[in-house]
Amino acid sequence: MAHNALISVFWVLSLVLNAGLVAVLIGTRSVKKFPFFGSYAAFTLLASALCYLARGQGPRYFYVYWVCEGISVLLGFGVVYEVFGRLLTPYPALRRLALTIFQWSIIVLVLMGGIVLFAQSAAERNQFAAAVMIIEEATRIIEVGLLMFLFLFSTAFGLHWRQCVFGMALGLGIFATIELIGITMQNYWGASVQGSFAVIRAIAFNISLMVWAGYLLVPEKVVTTAEALQHGQLEQWNQVLTEFIYQ
Amino acid sequence: MTSAVIIAVVITVFVLCAIAIFLGALHSRRSHTVQRSVDLKAFRILMDRGDENFLRAKLSRNAFFRLKRQRTKVTWGYVSRMSFNAKIVLQGAGRQRLNSNPRVVEQAASTIALAGQIRTQCLVAYAKMTTEYIFPSLQFTPARLESQYESLRDSVARLASLQSQDSTPVAVAI
Repeated sequence: MAHNALISVFWVLSLVLNAGLVAVLIGTRSVKKFPFFGSYAAFTLLASALCYLARGQGPRYFYVYWVCEGISVLLGFGVVYEVFGRLLTPYPALRRLALTIFQWSIIVLVLMGGIVLFAQSAAERNQFAAAVMIIEEATRIIEVGLLMFLFLFSTAFGLHWRQCVFGMALGLGIFATIELIGITMQNYWGASVQGSFAVIRAIAFNISLMVWAGYLLVPEKVVTTAEALQHGQLEQWNQVLTEFIYQ
Repeated sequence: MTSAVIIAVVITVFVLCAIAIFLGALHSRRSHTVQRSVDLKAFRILMDRGDENFLRAKLSRNAFFRLKRQRTKVTWGYVSRMSFNAKIVLQGAGRQRLNSNPRVVEQAASTIALAGQIRTQCLVAYAKMTTEYIFPSLQFTPARLESQYESLRDSVARLASLQSQDSTPVAVAI
């Protein structure tokens, strides 16, 4: 009962936040700049509303939930692709290298997802539900992996993230990671963790919505560069040589 | 162990890595972007294999290993500095992509390519240095950082001269 009440509260909150995010996207004219993310935000709002209306209706809720989940995962991949494109737009010279590594990452992640798909056995009794959950687990692995690649690549090359693009990737990363944890827990422990997972998932989704809206609303910081000469390492080398000479 | 347990463990590790990477990215966004100069002459001496061979011949095995590790530590610092500066240049040149002057855009593109190469070379250098630190007897071919870094300096200087009227010129003190 406590779980249900909490889930309802977070559900309504997510509907409000999601509507706010869509309003921010329209208000800041970001929908044109980020069509996949705009579609993703609008669809998650629609999906949440549909699921809310279908709650407590057994099979109807089940199908509505999983169809919406499937579409939102696909749109999530679109968002990852959009983030990838936006991140590398200022660096055409790095694009080819990034694309090659990105393609290899996809192959590795698809293989990893494939292994999970064949080796995992869900604790869920309903065969269809079990299959859907394993597919979701595999696709979430790919999604989280691609986001990891984006962050790793940008760190390795020191690429500059635009505020809103970083927010999109981070928000999606938080949600997809929590979703992956939850789905793995459910596949392993079965329905016993379903209630707790639903609450955690709802919290994670609300946090992601706040991250997305926050990063879209906060103005971009102007980067300033300044010179700061430091001689610390030279001094260190000097010290080493001095120690060596006077040994 | 059943396959379900193995998969659960693998996914847990995967998720922990993801969290660490996300947090790392968040942290690196907050860090300040201040470029630091690199003394290429000192770096050249550090990378000189002839110098290293001389030390290897003259010192005892233990003394050489100790000195080599200290050299590697200092080299690591220089490479980090180069890598960091290349990152600042990469970001600064990236911002010039939308400049109204096509020559600036062209120069920025070649600067980005160079800075990207340096970042890649630095990653290779880190791997080599880590291995040499663990096994000081090993001697890898030094990364060609120094000449590339000099080219980057020239490229940045050209970019800075092209955008001299710009209020925020790209890093010139690298």
